[in-house]
Amino acid sequence: MSLLDVTHVTRSFGGNRALDDVSLEMSVDALAIVGPNGAGKTTLLNAIAGVHHPNKGSIRFRGINVTHLPPWRIARLGMVKTYQVVRPFRTLTVEENLRLFAKLRGGADIDRILVATGLAHVRGVYSGVLPFGLLKRLELAKALAASPDLLLLDEPIGGLSRAEAEGLIASLVALKAGGTRMVVVEHRLGEILPVVDRVVALDRGRVIFDGSRDYFFENAAVREAYLGRADA
Amino acid sequence: MAAETSAPPGNSRSGVGRALLDPVFLAALAIILVLPFATGLNSTSSLALSLTFTMILVLLALAWDFSSGMTGYLNFGLPFFFGVGALTAGFLSWHGDRFVPFLLFAGFATGIFGGFLFSVPTLRLRGPYFSLLSFLLPLIGADFVAAYWVQLHWPTEGFYGLPFLAATYGGMLLLLSLTSAVVLVVFFILRNLHFGLVLRGIRDDEDALLSQGISTFPYKVVAFTISSGVVGFAGACYAMVYTFSGIDAFGFEFILFPILIVLIGGTGELVGTILAGLVVGLIYETFFPIFSDLTLILFVVAAMVLILFVPHGLVQPLRRFIQFMKTEEPV
Repeated sequence: MSLLDVTHVTRSFGGNRALDDVSLEMSVDALAIVGPNGAGKTTLLNAIAGVHHPNKGSIRFRGINVTHLPPWRIARLGMVKTYQVVRPFRTLTVEENLRLFAKLRGGADIDRILVATGLAHVRGVYSGVLPFGLLKRLELAKALAASPDLLLLDEPIGGLSRAEAEGLIASLVALKAGGTRMVVVEHRLGEILPVVDRVVALDRGRVIFDGSRDYFFENAAVREAYLGRADA
Repeated sequence: MAAETSAPPGNSRSGVGRALLDPVFLAALAIILVLPFATGLNSTSSLALSLTFTMILVLLALAWDFSSGMTGYLNFGLPFFFGVGALTAGFLSWHGDRFVPFLLFAGFATGIFGGFLFSVPTLRLRGPYFSLLSFLLPLIGADFVAAYWVQLHWPTEGFYGLPFLAATYGGMLLLLSLTSAVVLVVFFILRNLHFGLVLRGIRDDEDALLSQGISTFPYKVVAFTISSGVVGFAGACYAMVYTFSGIDAFGFEFILFPILIVLIGGTGELVGTILAGLVVGLIYETFFPIFSDLTLILFVVAAMVLILFVPHGLVQPLRRFIQFMKTEEPV
C-alpha cells in the first residue's frame, strides 16, 4: 500500500476542467508535481488536501479514503499543506505560529523545527513584520509543527531570490534525509529536481509524464508542453 | 504608524507565567483593585456610582474583546444577553428569590445557556452574515418582551424592587472591581494558552487554521458562550445596582460603549479595556448631564479619530513607551 493514492480524479470549475482523470501514487520519499501555468498543479494539491473536493475519482491516504473529508480532518491524519501565497498568523509571534499546531499529533519539538528552518533568531518576532523570505520558511515550519507524515508543499521557493531558494532547498534536503516525505508543486524545475525522486508533469489538467526525474527532460510530451512543438 | 515588532512579555516564550508579569497588565489590575478603596468602601457618592456603572461597561468590554476582539467575529448581540441576565435577576427577585449571589449566578447561567444556543447555529456563518444575525438578536429580545410582557403577567414597566447589589455604592464598586479583576486574569491567561492562540489565529486566517488540522468551531462556541455568561452576570449586576430591570436593558448603548472601549484600548488586547473603560465611563458621566444624547455622537467622533491616528489602540503605544523607558540605547 502506497502512502498516497490518487485515482481518476476529475475536478471542474464551471465549464473549465482543471483536472481530467488524474491518477498517481506516492511510492517514493519526494514527488514533484510540475507543469506550465494553468496545468492544474495547485488544484491537484488542493484536492489532495481537501480544500477542493474532486467531482470524480478518489484519494486515499495510508489506505484511508479522504476524498470528501474536510481539510482539518485530513491534516489530523498527517497530510499537511503549505500555501503558495504565504498565510502567516500575523498577530502571533513566530513561535506562537508553531505552538498552534505543535500538540495536534503528539507534540512536535518547536525548538528543533525553528533551528531546522532557520527561524530560531526570530522566534519572538511578530510574523506580520517578517520579510518574505522568512515568511516562506515560516510556512514550512508551521506545517512541520503539525508533525506530518506527508508534506504538501505548494511552490515553496516561489518568489524567493536564488540565495534564499538555495537555503530553503537545503532545509528540504535535510528534512527528506531525516525521513520527512513530501509532495512538491513547483515552477522552478532546475532548482527543485535535486530534492525529488520522481516527477509527475501535468498539462491542461492531464498527466503527461510520470517517472524518474532523470528522464523528465528527455520526454517528448514534456518538451512540447514547455517549449512548444518543433514544427509549430 | 510602525507596528510593534517584537512580542511584549505577554507573548513571550515562557507563556502564561511571563504573560502575567506584563507591566501593562499589572497596572490595569492594580487600578481596578485600588479604585474601590480610593473612593471608600462605604461611599455613597455619585462618583462611586459612576465608577460602578463604568465597571459594568468594563465587564461588557472584556467579554466582547475576549470573543469578538480576539476572533474577529463581530457580535452585536451583547445587549440581548445583558437584557436576559437583568430580566432573569428581576424575574427571580419578583418571585421572592432575593439572595444576591443566587441572582448573580442566575444571570451568569442564563447568559451561558443563551450564548450556547445562539453560538451553535450562528457561528457556522462568517463575516457579515454572523454579524447581521447577532445584530437582530437584541431587537428580537426586546420585541419578544414587549409583545408578551402583559400576557406573562409581569409588572407593566419592568421588575422593581430588586435587592441592592451591596449596601453602599462603594461596596458595589468593590464587588464589580473584584469581578472585573477575576475576569481579566482568567481571560488574560486563556489568551496566552493554546486556546487563546487559536482565537487570535481565527482573526488572522481561519482557513489556514482549518487546513492545518484545527477545527475552529468548538473554540468559537466556547469563547462566545463564556463571553455571554459574563455579559449575563453584568446584566444581573446592572439590575441590582439600579434595583430595576426592564426592556431598557436591551438598549444599544450596551454594545456601543463596549465596542468603543475595545477600539480605544486595542482590539484583542484585553488589558486595554480597563484603561479605556475608565476613560470612557468617566467622560460619559461627566459630559452626559451637559450634552445629553449628543455625548454619544462625541464618542463616535472621538473613536473615529482614534481609529485613524492610533489604529492599534492605546495599549501598544503604551507598551512601546515602557520599552523605551527601559532601554538605555535608542530604540
